[in-house]
Amino acid sequence: MTLFLQFLLTGIVTGCFLVLATIGFSFTRRVEGFLNIAHAELLGVSAFTTWGLNKLAGWHILPSAAVGIIVTAFLGLAIGRIVYDPIRRFGPAVLLITSVGVSYAIGGVIDAVIGTGIRTLDIPLATSYRFWGLRITDYQLLVVALAIVASGSLALFLNKTKTGLAIRAISVNPELAASRGIDVQKTSRATWLISSGLAGLAGVMLSVIATLSTDIAFHQILQILAVAILAGLGSLYAVILSGLIVGIAMDVSVFWIPAGYRPLIAFAVVILVLLVRPQGLAGSKSS
Amino acid sequence: MGGMKKVLSGFTALATIASVAVPAVAQADDVTVGVLVPLTGELGEFGKIVAGSVELGVKQINEAGGTKCGMLRTVVADTAGSAEQAIREATKMIDTEGAVALLGPTSGAMVALVDLAKRKETVVMSPYAGTITLNEIGGDYIYRTVSSDLGDGEASGLWLKEKGYKKVAFLVQNEESTISPAQVAQERLKDAGIELTDYVIYNPGQPSYQAELISVLANEPDAIYLAGGQESGVTVLKEAAAGGYGGEWLLTADLAVPEVFDALDPRILNDKAYVEVAQADKSLPEYKAFEAFHKAETGAEPGPFAANSYDMAMLVALALEASDGCTGAAVNSMIRDVTEGGEKVSSFADGKAALADGKDIDYEGASGPLTLDKSGTPAGAYQIMKAVDGAWVDEKFFPASAFE
Repeated sequence: MTLFLQFLLTGIVTGCFLVLATIGFSFTRRVEGFLNIAHAELLGVSAFTTWGLNKLAGWHILPSAAVGIIVTAFLGLAIGRIVYDPIRRFGPAVLLITSVGVSYAIGGVIDAVIGTGIRTLDIPLATSYRFWGLRITDYQLLVVALAIVASGSLALFLNKTKTGLAIRAISVNPELAASRGIDVQKTSRATWLISSGLAGLAGVMLSVIATLSTDIAFHQILQILAVAILAGLGSLYAVILSGLIVGIAMDVSVFWIPAGYRPLIAFAVVILVLLVRPQGLAGSKSS
Repeated sequence: MGGMKKVLSGFTALATIASVAVPAVAQADDVTVGVLVPLTGELGEFGKIVAGSVELGVKQINEAGGTKCGMLRTVVADTAGSAEQAIREATKMIDTEGAVALLGPTSGAMVALVDLAKRKETVVMSPYAGTITLNEIGGDYIYRTVSSDLGDGEASGLWLKEKGYKKVAFLVQNEESTISPAQVAQERLKDAGIELTDYVIYNPGQPSYQAELISVLANEPDAIYLAGGQESGVTVLKEAAAGGYGGEWLLTADLAVPEVFDALDPRILNDKAYVEVAQADKSLPEYKAFEAFHKAETGAEPGPFAANSYDMAMLVALALEASDGCTGAAVNSMIRDVTEGGEKVSSFADGKAALADGKDIDYEGASGPLTLDKSGTPAGAYQIMKAVDGAWVDEKFFPASAFE
């Protein structure tokens, strides 16, 4: 039983990382109206910026992470303004394909700048805490805490601030929102900053828990898509639930079936849920 | 996704090539040899070693007057570890550059290139592709200067048995090149009556491998056999240490690089981690001569698979020298002949002189005897290295005879 609960606990942590990685992606989908495949590579930008400052420049992890997130947020904003804004009128399909190109471009630049091999941060080895026979590390606890803080902050921002309410209005009906005096450009800029900043936060956690290679960020895109699709490509709360479901399903499955099938479980869950709810966990049929 | 990414990563490759290859302007009477290696991505470190060692071999061949077909010229391309990219670059090397041999692809690329090699009659050779798939389909235009993965499994099994472990867990990356040797090592464990507590096959590219480690750590093995890449391997090592694992490790060749000690707190590895790697017998005079040449040229010790890579250039040059033609088919027709049943030679210059005297030759490589079996594979020797003070140091050598 303890072993099973350990798988469950690890699954919750995996789910929280997926929430962090997906929440910005879903936010972009909701507001900008397309699947930004380049979102995963933004995790890489943040992870390698953090690594460069921490390992090469010798900075402490906290300022390194802060700069990593800020750089990623502004890079995401720049890409939104320079690449996506001019082609927005061609519709979501063109934006999606373009985002694949952006993903290649970011990945190629990371390859060129970082080069070969593996990278890790100059941070202490994780410390394990034990309770009721279960084990969790400080970095895993950090992932859970950041997922809670990021989701909570985003929910508060969208519900309590003027810009947040404007973003919600635009995500529901851009034309109507614009006709009511909402500054679409400004709101779009805020969206890019927030979603890319969230990718930056996930990238920092990727650099903290994982071993970095130039393609590890892109490896996350399938699971991000799985979580986003399961959530219904829209609702923030559904992303949290969906991330936890996928994370727990993947890790708990290892209790019964070989670990090699773990990624398959993510998509099996998505397929099963979509058979019952084609619109996703919380999405409306129109989304 | 692979396509454009690989094109972009080619920029890095170009920069790397500039540093490892001496650019040569094609002459009408040059013979072109393609160096097809991963210069970017996780295996990039190995690709650079291979490219550099082939260049050393070519330099020595050309200093000895080149082959009867002319001086050797190399063209280098980055596969970025992708079979698709390898096929594209190989086609370009053969059709545009006129390469008679392609040296350096990794396992996946080798398997993907079998049809092309036979169709275009161009020899393809690898210094590190241990995949057992080549045991079946290699041998005609497809060769290697390293033994099959099955040998790595045998060596690992032998080591785990020698260490006297009672309980061993296996963590194996979900790739053919890691699963094949793991299966052999697992069989040897069973034969020796050692308890296999877990046999976990995991997928690489994950941020964390905690779920895979739960059962492994719960069963408290004496040692964990970790057959994984650098990215997954380092994360597993970190997470197992954080999880309180205090046993020993046997790692596979991808982790036999110094970078592992930069990526990890060396205390995780020191005095309790071993790594198994196919390696030349360093006591052989042929290896010592290569080592001295390598040090003189680069100022550094030869890296993993350097001797095997150098030997590829030698085999191609000697096969050209021994054959009647200057094509890939000519190389293919003579490559076995120069590795068995004749006067033993250990350098291109000696081989060239013996062939000029009408003698048959048997090239004894820097990586060891290169007599090729029907799949184009030599018998292997293996080194177990131990992590000591943040570096891999030789612990135990298994010559090819240990497995007879």
